[in-house]
Amino acid sequence: MQRDYYDLLGGGALAALGLGVAAYSGAHYDFGTLRQMGPGFFPVGLGLLLAGLGLIVAVPAWRRQTEARPFDLPEAAAALGAILVFALTMNRLGLILGTALAVLIATLPAARPGALWRLVLAGVVTVLVWLVFKVALAMTIPLWPWSA
Amino acid sequence: MFDGLMQGLATALHPSVLIYSLFGVFLGTFVGVLPGIGAMATISLLLPLTYYISPEAALVMLAGVYYGSQYGGAVASILLRLPGTPQSAVTSLDGYPMARDGRAGLALFTSMISSFTGSMLGILVLVVLAGWLADLATKFGAADYAAMMILGLVAAATVGSDSPAKSLAMVVLGLLLGCIGTDVNTGTQRLTFGWAELMDGINLVALAMGLFGVSEVIANIRKADRHGPPGKVKFRQMLPTGAQMRQIIPPALRGTAVGSFFGALPGTGSTISSFLSYALERRIARQPERFGHGAIEGVAAPEAANNSASITAFVPTLTLGIPGDPIMALMLGALIIHGIQPGPMMLEARPEMFWGLVVSFGIGNLFLLILNLPLIGIWVSMLRIPFRWLYPAILIFVCLGVYSVRGSTFDLVMVAGIGAVGYLLALARFNPALLLLGFVLGPLIEVNLRRAMLIARGDPMVFLERPIAAVFIIAAAGLLAMSLWQAIGRRQSRP
Amino acid sequence: MTQSFSRRHLLAAGAALAMAGAAGMGAAQSWPTGPVHIVVGFPAGSSPDTLARLVAEPLAAKLGQPVVVENKPGAGGVIGVQQMLAAKDGHTFGATINGPLTTAPRLVKDIGYDVAKDITGIALTATSPMVLAVAADNAANDLQGFIDAAKADPGGMTYGSVGQGSGAHLAMELFLDTAGIEMLHVPFTSYAEVTTSIMGGEIDAGFMAPSAAMGHVQAGKMKMLGITSSRPFPQVPDVPVIAGQAGMPADYRAELWNAFIAPASTDPAVVARLNTEIAAILADPAVQQKMLTMGWKAEGGTAADLAARITADTAVWGKVLDRIEAKK
Repeated sequence: MQRDYYDLLGGGALAALGLGVAAYSGAHYDFGTLRQMGPGFFPVGLGLLLAGLGLIVAVPAWRRQTEARPFDLPEAAAALGAILVFALTMNRLGLILGTALAVLIATLPAARPGALWRLVLAGVVTVLVWLVFKVALAMTIPLWPWSA
Repeated sequence: MFDGLMQGLATALHPSVLIYSLFGVFLGTFVGVLPGIGAMATISLLLPLTYYISPEAALVMLAGVYYGSQYGGAVASILLRLPGTPQSAVTSLDGYPMARDGRAGLALFTSMISSFTGSMLGILVLVVLAGWLADLATKFGAADYAAMMILGLVAAATVGSDSPAKSLAMVVLGLLLGCIGTDVNTGTQRLTFGWAELMDGINLVALAMGLFGVSEVIANIRKADRHGPPGKVKFRQMLPTGAQMRQIIPPALRGTAVGSFFGALPGTGSTISSFLSYALERRIARQPERFGHGAIEGVAAPEAANNSASITAFVPTLTLGIPGDPIMALMLGALIIHGIQPGPMMLEARPEMFWGLVVSFGIGNLFLLILNLPLIGIWVSMLRIPFRWLYPAILIFVCLGVYSVRGSTFDLVMVAGIGAVGYLLALARFNPALLLLGFVLGPLIEVNLRRAMLIARGDPMVFLERPIAAVFIIAAAGLLAMSLWQAIGRRQSRP
Repeated sequence: MTQSFSRRHLLAAGAALAMAGAAGMGAAQSWPTGPVHIVVGFPAGSSPDTLARLVAEPLAAKLGQPVVVENKPGAGGVIGVQQMLAAKDGHTFGATINGPLTTAPRLVKDIGYDVAKDITGIALTATSPMVLAVAADNAANDLQGFIDAAKADPGGMTYGSVGQGSGAHLAMELFLDTAGIEMLHVPFTSYAEVTTSIMGGEIDAGFMAPSAAMGHVQAGKMKMLGITSSRPFPQVPDVPVIAGQAGMPADYRAELWNAFIAPASTDPAVVARLNTEIAAILADPAVQQKMLTMGWKAEGGTAADLAARITADTAVWGKVLDRIEAKK
């Protein structure tokens, strides 16, 4: 058991975000009138509302206990890294190399050691992606670096 | 009308139309199952093909993709918590816990039988009430739309939740994210920070995939390997018992009623109806705390609602030329390519087209049921593939699905960012489905509210003077008051 | 953003230099060496997309290479133009509506391109006028009656458009200004919403493409009081032109159009080749008929015609935008 940091930080972050958006929008966009609401009307109003709700979530959490939940940092880094690498490489290296590279990155944190299954998986997924998106759905993405 | 139906039957049973219908529903199911790739992208890809076939066959095929993808989308959201649309996000609320309990087969069966019921009864409503529904859509003014969507938000956020403040915070965060992009009324770029890619707002599919799919993958990489795959399921276990059937049918019927009504209103019907029907079931259930932990009604009602809504959504599309959603807009485009102008004259000018489409909906849904029931076993056995084999493919499919929406790699970077936020929100137990609802309805509420105030010259009484708006506003206020009352009651009864 | 902007300028300048040196005529003979891409800044099934596809198909046959239409929707077509400029392969062109070439540079901050410096027109594809539509039970039966009613109630009548700075909005502002009347602007996002709102009695009027109004007019729920082209439009021949009527000047004209464009760095011989081929396709009666059922009149003409059109429209709508800004 520990203090309920989840609601504390979550609510706090939402409150900060709400205040930030309200302040930024208030400074940059016209608030308007009730008849002719400006572009700032909603962001400012909603930002303040979010700030209030965030505080309602965060404040009581200070005195509350909850069980700790695991935070999967390596898993998150690998999954998000795979997406980013795929986004950057798909139109430069092509679908085949981009997919294989992204799969290898995604499998890094998986519990089972060994390189063989990772390579096999990269091959299988790449063929599957080629079949579904190039052959069946005919999407316009280059296959290889030289076909870009 | 009987003559019309006969004519429609003749059109729909034409062998070439039947084949395109079968092809459409099959393709729809297939792309629906793939995360991210949905009806929208598929119909865009198929559109050039429709230049070469008859307009009846073209529309029947595209419609088949549309509702076929809803069947398929339910599979992905139940088994893997990968909803591509806000509607299937509702299905995953209870469908996914059911699948994790080893009741994946039952959840899939429930979703399919409810979808089928919803569609078939939706067709009946369409046939009997098409004229009335078309009138309804023209009677709705800006104030009425705004009031209806406010009711939708309030119902979804307040109906029985562990922490109303956390639920409301998610709705409001969704509304705020919906503000990003070009302001319709003034053309101002709001919160885009100079990125042209954000001018039309955050891509909905990227948001749904990041919040649900990516965050779920992150949370499961370690967990899934520790637990190992779920055990083998026998076919008998997928079929519901008589008692379970009695649990499925009433919610499915209520969902159909909700869906048929809201589906006919352009713009929001399908999303609002699935959230409202879920909220309704939770409100009337004897043990509302079961919801979110695998309640079978939580799958049956929204699935019936979104399928019946997707049928009645054709009413404004075909009779008024008002597309209810981007997919309907694409179908209108397909008709216009063939020189058919959808609108109030369509029923008189091209009855064989209108009724042929109606009949083909029935046939298509029958195909879907026959096609999908035997597939349940195959889908469930997919859960036995170790997760470490599955998730890299899921990530790539999500990327390509999001890319297919508008060919933008910027959107993939967004998926990664939203995925990180989604994982943190899930860790702190915030409900991402409500964020999605706020995001979808936010821009519509804002635009309608501002339009209503502009037309009423700044007089807020317009919301009580228009009867339709007044009903929705009073219902929303009543619901809010009821939840507050209950929240206070809970606090006092606590020792 | 700024970085790629300046790099693009450098490249364009470099390409222009290279071309001046090596009299690039010879290059056009071997062109195209691969598939030709046409970037459309609107989703599949929209009218700019359909118009582009109607031309792309016969164009592929004439060029002997596949012509791939790519949809990069967003920001009223601006994203499509940006994407076209980002590809520097000599095989990527664009199809766009008037907005990104005429009014968008004023409405969109950091648009990332300069129409005069970065873009060359290939050919005007098609034009469409707009009709002034009101509900069937509106007291006004002609343009004069409408203007009189608006004069009697300054600012009391309302009109819908498909968004701030849209063709429908600017056409109405030009109309109001020329006629010397005032109405309240209510922005919508689609013509379908505008027509529903007019029929439901929420707003009074709106300018829209003839095809958006025709069905409702036939059903007896709306009527069309005038059209913005300089001659009656074949799709709605009975609707009187606004120019010269009810005190409006004879040169009043407001049209939407679609065009094929190329990056300014494109070899002029390639632009000329594309212009010839596209103009020939647009002269085909079958293509003209298909466009007309969609509400568009096929055009054609030279690249210089298109350039003149861009300059003229930028000036006309620029003045309207000035007035809208002054009113705020």
